[in-house]
Amino acid sequence: MMLGWNIFPIVAAIVAVLAVAGAVVALVRKERSGLAMGMMCAAIVAMLAFIITLWLTLQRPPLRTMGETRLWYSFFLLVAGLFTYARWRYRWIMSFSTLLAGVFILINILKPEIHDQGLMPALQSVWFVPHVSVYMFSYALLGCATLLSVVALVSRRSDLNGAIERLLYGGIAFLSIGMLTGSLWAKEAWGAYWSWDAKEAWAAATWGLYLLALHVAPATGKRYDKAYYVVIVLGFLALQMCWYGVNYLPSAAESVHTYNQ
Amino acid sequence: MKQRSNIRIAICVAVVAVAMAVMDFAAGSFPVDIFRFPVNILTMALWLALLGIVYKQRATSPVARFMFSQSAVWLSFSLVAMVGIVLGLERRPSSDAWIVVAAILFILSHLVLITLRGWRTAQGIRWRFTLLHLGLILALGAGFWGAPDREQLRIAVDREPNDEAYTMSGTPRILDYTLTLEDYDIRLDDSGMPRHYEAVIGIDGTSHAIRVNHPYARTWQEKIYLISLGDEYCILEIVREPWQWLSMAGIVMLIAGAVMMFLGGPRRGGNDKTERV
Repeated sequence: MMLGWNIFPIVAAIVAVLAVAGAVVALVRKERSGLAMGMMCAAIVAMLAFIITLWLTLQRPPLRTMGETRLWYSFFLLVAGLFTYARWRYRWIMSFSTLLAGVFILINILKPEIHDQGLMPALQSVWFVPHVSVYMFSYALLGCATLLSVVALVSRRSDLNGAIERLLYGGIAFLSIGMLTGSLWAKEAWGAYWSWDAKEAWAAATWGLYLLALHVAPATGKRYDKAYYVVIVLGFLALQMCWYGVNYLPSAAESVHTYNQ
Repeated sequence: MKQRSNIRIAICVAVVAVAMAVMDFAAGSFPVDIFRFPVNILTMALWLALLGIVYKQRATSPVARFMFSQSAVWLSFSLVAMVGIVLGLERRPSSDAWIVVAAILFILSHLVLITLRGWRTAQGIRWRFTLLHLGLILALGAGFWGAPDREQLRIAVDREPNDEAYTMSGTPRILDYTLTLEDYDIRLDDSGMPRHYEAVIGIDGTSHAIRVNHPYARTWQEKIYLISLGDEYCILEIVREPWQWLSMAGIVMLIAGAVMMFLGGPRRGGNDKTERV
């Protein structure tokens, strides 16, 4: 066990206390709360400090295993939740993003998976860090957009459209950059920008669904549009398949993306 | 009237999809090889001319009107998603299936038409729109039209010069140069997992180090990759892809467009939603 990973339950407890406190303060205060944002910032800083410690201990970027990508996802979810709250003042968004980040933190405590020092030759590339971290950030933004879409769908609200579309633009921009840096990397590693490998196929499906959402967004920005929210939710489901669901499919046996299980 | 026209178009799409599925079963994969240069260039020129006609008739022809409609946007992105899901579920995905080829051709056609219409307005060039759409046309189009010219060969190399490579289907191909394994370096960690692979390859007398993620570019269209390295031998992959630089240009344009998309966010303007991005 690495020193960095040993202290994760303690860090997770600190992050959870700070993030939950921040989310609760945001929920009860009618105006945007500096205290809530401060506590969430402290939770994010604690998480970032742990990631940096892990990075130094492993002597490689902690971006290889599923557990490590979950770590980044939890971190970026807290960031995206704070950003959405600070920008659009939805009091409940930090509760949702904290809950979702908490689930991924809990999975990492219960099932930490592989956290060794090794970085196989295929992952020793300048594209490794930008490709994975940009993807994780986009997943977090799209996760927040999905939360808002579900709320809009269930409560038949259309006043969330502005925030959904903003998050969608940011999320898709980063998703595209992640995918494109991946294709440049693939050309250097395997000789083809795109080979319709199972993971790449699911990435294309995710991209197609999110681009569809972007192109069918309600033109007025205020109209309730059920199809729009449903497509965003479908995009998020495809994203889960691309991220880890594909590992459970028979097609994963032939995949070249098998180092992250 | 408009609804009837859309139903007719939807029936046409369904018929094409069924025909393509039948072709997959009856004739096997799409015959990519018969479109090798210069056939692919001629076919592409014909396709672009056809799109030019469709573009000119956008106000009158029902097919042209459909290609610029919101329904075509739905169809295009749904096709991307469906192709991804179908290939993502297959154990050995084949992008040479007739239905995949037809879907990509439709998406490309729609992209070209939308880009022709929207790349500039009275206010000037729409840079973000143009970078994203033209970038996608180049990246997707170079992969699509360039696929017949792409060649992937494998060769086993040891201390003796070798020029006999094999295609992925096992057909021998004699290279116009020889390859020799001059030296190699394999480093494992404490658990026996590989940490570093490197082969020094002699190519017609000159030495070049090749490792994973660091191929050797022999010419502007050919790169040599290290696939496997063992005791006194290695497996190399030779990829010839003349269209690779067009793909690269498209990808760079797309990245620039995505950065602009993040910085600019949603932009409202005009009645046509397909032009907003």
